Amino acid sequence: MNIEISDLQFTYPTGVQALFGVSLEINSGEQVAIVGQNGAGKTTLVKHLNGLLQPTSGYVRIGDWDTKQHSVAKLAHRVGYVFQNPDEQLFSKNVGTEVAFGPKNLGYASAQIAALVKDALELTELSDKTETNPYDLSPTWRKMVAIASIIAMDTPIVIFDEPTTGQDAVNIARMASVIAKLRTQGKTVITITHDIDFCAENFGRVIAMSRGQMILDGKSTMVLGQEEVLATTYVDPPQLTRLGKRLGFEKTVTNKAEFLAALQK
Amino acid sequence: MAIINLQNVTYKYPLTDSPVLHNINLQVNEGEFVAVIGPNGAGKSTLCYTIAGFVPHFFKGELTGTVEVAGSESSNSSLHEWVLNVGLAFQNPFNQISGAKYTVFEEIAFGLENTGVPREEMKPRVEAAMKLTDISDLADRSPYSLSGGQQQRVALTSILVMQPKVLVLDEPTSQMDPIGTREVFSVIRTMAEQGMTVVLVEHKVEWIAKFADRVIALYEGQILLEGKPQAVLTSDLLMDKGFGISRYTSTAREARNQGLWQNDRPLPVTLDEAVEGFRK
Amino acid sequence: MNDRLSFYRKKNSLIHRLNPFTKLALIFTLIVIGIFGTGYWTASIVVCLVLIPLTFISKLFWEYLWVVLRLILPTATFMFVMQSIFIPGGITEIFHIGPFSVELETVQRSFLIVSRLFLVISAFAFLLLSTHPSELMSDLTRRGLAPQFAYVIISTLQILPQMQAKAQTIIAAQRSRGLDTQSSFIRRVGSLVPLVGPLVFGSLVEVEERAIAIEARGFTSTHVKTSLHDVPDSNFDKIIRWVLVALVLIALALKIWLS
Repeated sequence: MNIEISDLQFTYPTGVQALFGVSLEINSGEQVAIVGQNGAGKTTLVKHLNGLLQPTSGYVRIGDWDTKQHSVAKLAHRVGYVFQNPDEQLFSKNVGTEVAFGPKNLGYASAQIAALVKDALELTELSDKTETNPYDLSPTWRKMVAIASIIAMDTPIVIFDEPTTGQDAVNIARMASVIAKLRTQGKTVITITHDIDFCAENFGRVIAMSRGQMILDGKSTMVLGQEEVLATTYVDPPQLTRLGKRLGFEKTVTNKAEFLAALQK
Repeated sequence: MAIINLQNVTYKYPLTDSPVLHNINLQVNEGEFVAVIGPNGAGKSTLCYTIAGFVPHFFKGELTGTVEVAGSESSNSSLHEWVLNVGLAFQNPFNQISGAKYTVFEEIAFGLENTGVPREEMKPRVEAAMKLTDISDLADRSPYSLSGGQQQRVALTSILVMQPKVLVLDEPTSQMDPIGTREVFSVIRTMAEQGMTVVLVEHKVEWIAKFADRVIALYEGQILLEGKPQAVLTSDLLMDKGFGISRYTSTAREARNQGLWQNDRPLPVTLDEAVEGFRK
Repeated sequence: MNDRLSFYRKKNSLIHRLNPFTKLALIFTLIVIGIFGTGYWTASIVVCLVLIPLTFISKLFWEYLWVVLRLILPTATFMFVMQSIFIPGGITEIFHIGPFSVELETVQRSFLIVSRLFLVISAFAFLLLSTHPSELMSDLTRRGLAPQFAYVIISTLQILPQMQAKAQTIIAAQRSRGLDTQSSFIRRVGSLVPLVGPLVFGSLVEVEERAIAIEARGFTSTHVKTSLHDVPDSNFDKIIRWVLVALVLIALALKIWLS
């Protein structure tokens, strides 16, 4: 399921223009991170993918669907969106029911819903908490419930909005394994994040935005090495990238494996 | 002289089965900057609430052991006296805005109004506090119109204006973007340099390594490790238990296994330490 | 997020300079006289001959008109029509629409009720337009109102718009999970729980944190509270309040004597 964004411009009803002509294509199965300072337009851009926002001009296509011609509920068949604050989604009496809410709305058959819910709970390590009320869980686990709720919808495209904010290392590792699993399933994963190390370790393509425009788009090794450009949108390069630069490495390194390989030389 | 003294503190929230804090022994000297790290659920927030007096006075529950802060003892103090000595700020800046005031200036003065500070004293104190946290230009704005980083600085200022002896901060940057994080850390650093006793719960270990005097690693309600940042943050024990450690540390550890880092050299936590070590 | 602080409109007028408690007493007096006063046209007279001139004196006429057109008039008109049609007990039919008949007596009764409602809402609108809620609560607290009560009122006023924003986000989040907000009415009723649930539960979490935050700022302190701003109470205010008390007593006395 490809995503095509063409010359997307968006102005809020208040008159503030948030996107000034963004064009890009995301192919099926790509893992893309979007970075940039608050107000750069990251969330505005991503909300166009499931129809929460409609272009002022330009278009957005999800597969063969133009988002202008389909409702948000309809687009939810193709795009799952994990919101930043799980408390803005959770309402059911137990985790199982909560996770089943999405697939139910999409009209899957009961047997399929049960299977999807089971898999989603397993992936997010929630299998033993099926009967627990989400609000009896800690914020950390509520986050995983929210993620499971979207994964269970089995959409070809999954969007994470700031997944690592307020999370500890253990939960971030869980999220990384969720994303890895989605990758093996061939899903397209798009994330907005401030955690540049998380970005470097899990996403092969990085888009940097500033003031409503894309300023960088490419492989993470290419984008994350551009310290000065990233600095204009208040993004620091990953820790190991900075280290590599200080040590005078030729190539940009973004994770441990690349760093150690470069060090060997 | 210990300004915070926790001895054999065990605490259980009401209607729960197991204690969240087990036998905590912790002394913090006046002017010390102590950082607390640990996975979610380790009891870090509960520890903050205990030092700040909310455990047990707000949350009730069962507290055993002694809690002494700034000369007062928990079992014979009331919360509203305790808060005069210990300032508390936490993760979510929005929930720390009282909602009772329409401008930032009034919001900061709220604590002074509640504690009966004379009117003539209020204005200079608020102005001095705002200068310290660099928010003087926000005085007439509505607290709800501010960015996360600005709101968090207003929350900090509202506590600092009450001139507490101890500052307890529970993950103040967890919900901030990089700019907000920088702004908040700047304020904390200023307070620490001015001699304030600070207890900071944080995940961002690189910053802690640079500025904290001591690091306490909390795990499942107990103090796993305690000591100088360098020693604690590079400990193998932390790695085994799933703590978030600096990538410089984990990378250097693996490099050491491959012979690319000197065996007897301590592992790095910060960028500069890593640069120096790898250059050799 | 606009910086509009509250309903209050700051102007330089005699009314604005009055003590907030005086203004509260003033609208209370108008409401008592308008509702308990004898006479069919009392409420309407109070609105036209007292309240509207007050809005001129306080330079708030246009703002008041805006509230009338946007809020009061639609509500009042709707109620007037509904009551005229549905209140039983009328005798003299004026006209009818299909099975519904409208009688003179019900129209008269309806107008009485609606004119009083118009007065009450107008009076409160006038109060909110001419008085900063902070000042009002501050003054009432000084006169003995429990600080907790004052806090609940003010924080609700400020936080309600925030909750509105939060509700919007919840709607967006649930729509993104396939909740159809444009389907049949019955379906939409069923979608109330996923929309209201997070709002309520999320608010409970927030409320606890906010309680901790204000506690940390000494809210439950037993010290006598001081205030940053001085809310003056002049002799003129005191005289006006005594006059208002007298007017209320006269109105009540008249009602008893005439009935």
